[in-house]
Amino acid sequence: MLFSVLIYASEDFIDALTPDEHQELLKKHGTFHEQTKTNKNFAAAAKLMSTGTAVTISRESDEFLVTDGPFAETKEQFMGFYLLDCPSLEEAIDAVKILPLDHGRIEVRPIEYFEGADFKNAERLVIDAS
Amino acid sequence: MQSGLLSTHLRAARPRVLAALNRVFGDIDLAEDAFQEASLRALKSWQRDSLPKDPVAWLIVAGRNTGIDLIRKKSRETLTAPENLEPAFDGAHPEEGLTQSLDQSVYRDDILRLLFTCCHPVLRKDQQIALSLKIVAGLSVDEIARAFLVQPKTMEQRITRAKKRLQAAKLPYEDPDAKARADRFSAVANAIYLIFNEGYSASQGPQLIRETLCEEAIRLARLLVRLFPEAPELRGLLALCLIHHSRRHARLSPNGEAVTLEDQDRSTWDRKEIAEGNILLEAALRRATPGPFQIEAAIAATQASALRFEETDWAELDRLYRALQHVRPSPVVALNRAVVVAKLKGPKEALNLLVQLEGPLERYASYHTVKAAFLAELGRTSQAQQAYEVALSHAGTEVERQHLQKKIDELKNSLED
Repeated sequence: MLFSVLIYASEDFIDALTPDEHQELLKKHGTFHEQTKTNKNFAAAAKLMSTGTAVTISRESDEFLVTDGPFAETKEQFMGFYLLDCPSLEEAIDAVKILPLDHGRIEVRPIEYFEGADFKNAERLVIDAS
Repeated sequence: MQSGLLSTHLRAARPRVLAALNRVFGDIDLAEDAFQEASLRALKSWQRDSLPKDPVAWLIVAGRNTGIDLIRKKSRETLTAPENLEPAFDGAHPEEGLTQSLDQSVYRDDILRLLFTCCHPVLRKDQQIALSLKIVAGLSVDEIARAFLVQPKTMEQRITRAKKRLQAAKLPYEDPDAKARADRFSAVANAIYLIFNEGYSASQGPQLIRETLCEEAIRLARLLVRLFPEAPELRGLLALCLIHHSRRHARLSPNGEAVTLEDQDRSTWDRKEIAEGNILLEAALRRATPGPFQIEAAIAATQASALRFEETDWAELDRLYRALQHVRPSPVVALNRAVVVAKLKGPKEALNLLVQLEGPLERYASYHTVKAAFLAELGRTSQAQQAYEVALSHAGTEVERQHLQKKIDELKNSLED
């Protein structure tokens, strides 16, 4: 089954990390990449830009409304997600345990429908914002 | 709980907590003392238990209670604490009840008020920078002193005087109307840009870039954008800082010399920061209320979009500099535009634009550097050399002086050939 691993953290906190702490955080994600790729659980990864870059689109009667900022003002922000292909919820939860969890929370939620690149066989595509 | 991360949690919570305490006490000094006390308590109690669900609310409650104690201590003989400052329950995790009441709009007003207090027009620019870094960013006096290359004692005095000046001014605590709010945004944005600029092109001392200052400015700008995504000038400010900051590795050669935009290795620019800056700018411009920061960000973005210096869109830059000159006229902007005009129409035309800037920019090193470059391009080598000498006498940093000396030596050699 395909699971989404949704990462929430406080941007105030992320901004306050020292370079070393930030490095430490990235290292944990690196290990997660390695492990899930080795055991073929890894399907996709996406890191979102800061919520400051977000706009939210809604519609009021016939008018589209584009408001600045993220959809919800919360203490913790949605930072990014992984897609994991795991046989069970149990295994998805186990995999996630090596991600940074000293702050913020990680939500694991199964995917009902997925359409996109063939993450099992296709060549890996990496898009870095630039 | 790792103790390292504890201090990071405190650093992250600081602006919001101090802003709330500043609202409660109406006294920045007391708010700071109260925050200090609350942090010490947090370090003890968070280590023992675990992190509270909402560290910010925990700290506000703890700080509020300590602040009230401090007031009581100070005024034991004469008066008791005001009635509306009754201490709340101060258990291990007293934040639950408070969390509900602290909605985002209260946060917003608090933070804006705190920042505006720190860079209030009654303060000198250097006081604004020092106070913002000390109070909002939470840098220690030593750290700020180091960044500004002054003795810690000097910096301590600067901060104390700034606080005294604020107290003397007796700032009113009313909620700002739309116009006053816009004025506050602009004062705060300007102060943050001052901090960034001081780090980006340090005006004096041996280093050209002081990264701490740039990073703190970006952190403050991010905080503001998060709270006020609807304010396009704040997004413009963040975009501007990010795009400039993306070049930090290219601006110094391995042996510490300044490298001009023309000679920078563009492959070392941080493309992620440029991308974020570009999208912030695009989102800001959708509001169709351009201001100086958006225009400056657009200038930086235009420069950043050229893969090689020769591919720079000079015509677009000329338009943008004229727009900037329109909304915020200044001789420095005119100087920058002259550089663009030199690319579009040649150095002769550009040199003519400099004539009227001579007066206001006489003591500004960059003016003479630009003039020297135009003169050199026109083959007026000895005049160019003279202009570089004048620039050298006004240069503030060692890096700048080295760069100018190199230019002078190059011209000398070309004269001898």
